[in-house]
Amino acid sequence: MSDRNAMSSRAVIRLVAGREINQRLRVKSFYITTGLLVLFILAVGVVTRLAGDDDAPGVIDVAVVLDEAGDVDADVFRDVQDALEASAAAVDRGATVQFFDDIEAAQVALEDGDVDVAIDAVGQRALFDGGVDQEVFAVVQQAWALVELRTSLSDAGLEPEQIDDALTVTPLAAESVGGDEGPSGLAVLTGTLAAIMLFLSLQTFGTYVLTGVVEEKSSAVVEVLLVRARADQLLAGKVIGIGVAALTQFALAVAAGMVSLGLSGVTVPSEVWSALPITVLWFLGGFALYSTLFALAGSLVSRQEEAQTAAAPIMYALVAAYLLVFIFGYVPESMASTIMSLIPPIAPLLMPMRMAAGAASLVEVVVALVLLLAATVATWKLAARIYEQVLLRRGSRISWREALRLLRPERAGRSGASAKRK
Amino acid sequence: MLTVEGVSKRFGPLLALDGVGLEVQRGEIVGFLGPNGAGKTTTMRAIMGLLTIDAGQVTWQGSPVDAAARQRFGYMPAERGMYQRMKVREHLVYYGRLSGLTAAAAATTADTWLERLGLGARGGDTVQSLSSGNQQRVQLALALINEPDLLVLDEPFAGLDPIAVETLSEVLREQVANGVALLLSSHQLDLVAEVCSAVVIVDQGRVVLQGDVNQLRATSPHRYVEVEFATPTAPIWGDASVSGGGRRHRISVSGDVDPAVMIDDARAHGRLVGYSFSPPDLSEVFLSAVGRTTVEVHGAADDAEPS
Repeated sequence: MSDRNAMSSRAVIRLVAGREINQRLRVKSFYITTGLLVLFILAVGVVTRLAGDDDAPGVIDVAVVLDEAGDVDADVFRDVQDALEASAAAVDRGATVQFFDDIEAAQVALEDGDVDVAIDAVGQRALFDGGVDQEVFAVVQQAWALVELRTSLSDAGLEPEQIDDALTVTPLAAESVGGDEGPSGLAVLTGTLAAIMLFLSLQTFGTYVLTGVVEEKSSAVVEVLLVRARADQLLAGKVIGIGVAALTQFALAVAAGMVSLGLSGVTVPSEVWSALPITVLWFLGGFALYSTLFALAGSLVSRQEEAQTAAAPIMYALVAAYLLVFIFGYVPESMASTIMSLIPPIAPLLMPMRMAAGAASLVEVVVALVLLLAATVATWKLAARIYEQVLLRRGSRISWREALRLLRPERAGRSGASAKRK
Repeated sequence: MLTVEGVSKRFGPLLALDGVGLEVQRGEIVGFLGPNGAGKTTTMRAIMGLLTIDAGQVTWQGSPVDAAARQRFGYMPAERGMYQRMKVREHLVYYGRLSGLTAAAAATTADTWLERLGLGARGGDTVQSLSSGNQQRVQLALALINEPDLLVLDEPFAGLDPIAVETLSEVLREQVANGVALLLSSHQLDLVAEVCSAVVIVDQGRVVLQGDVNQLRATSPHRYVEVEFATPTAPIWGDASVSGGGRRHRISVSGDVDPAVMIDDARAHGRLVGYSFSPPDLSEVFLSAVGRTTVEVHGAADDAEPS
């Protein structure tokens, strides 16, 4: 008949995966979760931008209290202004100066956040609100030195032109050669958020795979499906279908993260920019590995109530990998962190953080990906062999030990209702 | 024609099938009978390729059954299996496509069967919102969606009301009239006798009796004589069963007994309003084939798990 086609394995998998995607996209909560996630991530960027937007970014506002009496000539004002602008320019920042007659008024301005620092020329000190901003302090320190020097030179009888010549210096350009300055705060933050997001997505969608397999087994729908499709095709379709939905949500979150970083107005290191899109790749690898194991756990039980018990070892592994990120992710350059990030179940969670910190070499990334791929393929092959032997075995939970015994060739033929066929 | 030859299957210490053999011709309904645990479901799963068999073979039209041949089979497992939260029509279309139909063909067939089975208005409802009888109709539609050459139905009548049974019987007769080969298992022997042309009876993994229903009944060495009196009458034959307030008396006799003699004998005890001389019905054939008397089987049935 013309309307009946011989089904290729790929066509079967596509159909099974298509059903999973449809079922997933039908649930309202998927859209709500995804929407809220994207909105939240974007909001973080917007809020960061707004919080830092009272001033043009990078401008240092300085209050200067020169003399309690207030009788200072215009040259001094100009000199102070020039000195502050010059030393701020050396660190790519601007400076505004407000002069105050008394120290109390300057302190009020400081506490209100109108100025970043107050210079008490009489007391010869710089005042900060709360902690000392080292960069701002360096800028005013240098400006202070300039003004002092200019005063000394003037007192020594030099003409203003001579003083200008004497004080003209070409600033040093700062360059890092060691590369061991440690990850920036932003890299750590991005890496941590990526790890949290990876963990939550792997756990959420892994659980969908788990309960989906149990649903098929507990409702006996597998018996009808196995007449039309092989067990490994059902397994592949399920993992791929739910994987597509998971990847869609994850990729949207990452894209939102990148937009959010752009919106925030914060200076983003290039390692962070390049690490973020690659996180999607780590998610793919991690999902393939963990969801295959979750599917296998689901195939061992016949009731939803037992699903969590069967999946406990995998859940523990995932949580352990996640916790390791908080130990080794903050020392991304260490040997231990490097080794940990190569281990397949850990790599998807730890490597994005090391990459964001600029600590992972290309070789390490490639090796970790290859190892993850190899581990996933091996897991897949073993899982498919167990899967086809246990899908029709209803009743009490099959232990992991028993499941692994099914891999021994001499026992395979004696197992319950194996679903093997050509 | 479906041929099952010498099929054996062992589950650990249990020999579930011990050389089962049977045949189902196209255009024929074969009833597959046997006590619980006799091996009916295992045999059907073996035919559908759901388990590896230890010995023997299953062939369709002379060739060993492979995945391509099974694409032309329809199967209804004893335990109904559907995605509870999927919509009925979508479920049918999905399964139709898995069976190799194009999306359009699967949709057309799904609509046809929903209409035919009286579920035309329920296509958009989820499976779980249907009554168990209606779910069973959907399960049947799943088996029929690919216009199969062979139908294997494990207890299709279980749990159906008389109207649904009538619809189902009608659909099955129609399928068979179109050349489908049909193997069905059931415990409702009166239904089997009505629907099936042949039966295969299994017990403890072995086929103990098979053949044409009427022939099996006719070749039984026993006949039943039943007489009905106008008024209650004391037992006239020592081991006869008496019912109807003492008016109906029934006794099993050897096939060579002359019925006229029996009736004359009864007439001596009172006025008769009815009498019959008939071969055993299917359940009696079944019970003697599996080596149990009525009493034993009634006892066993109480212990048996509901299926």
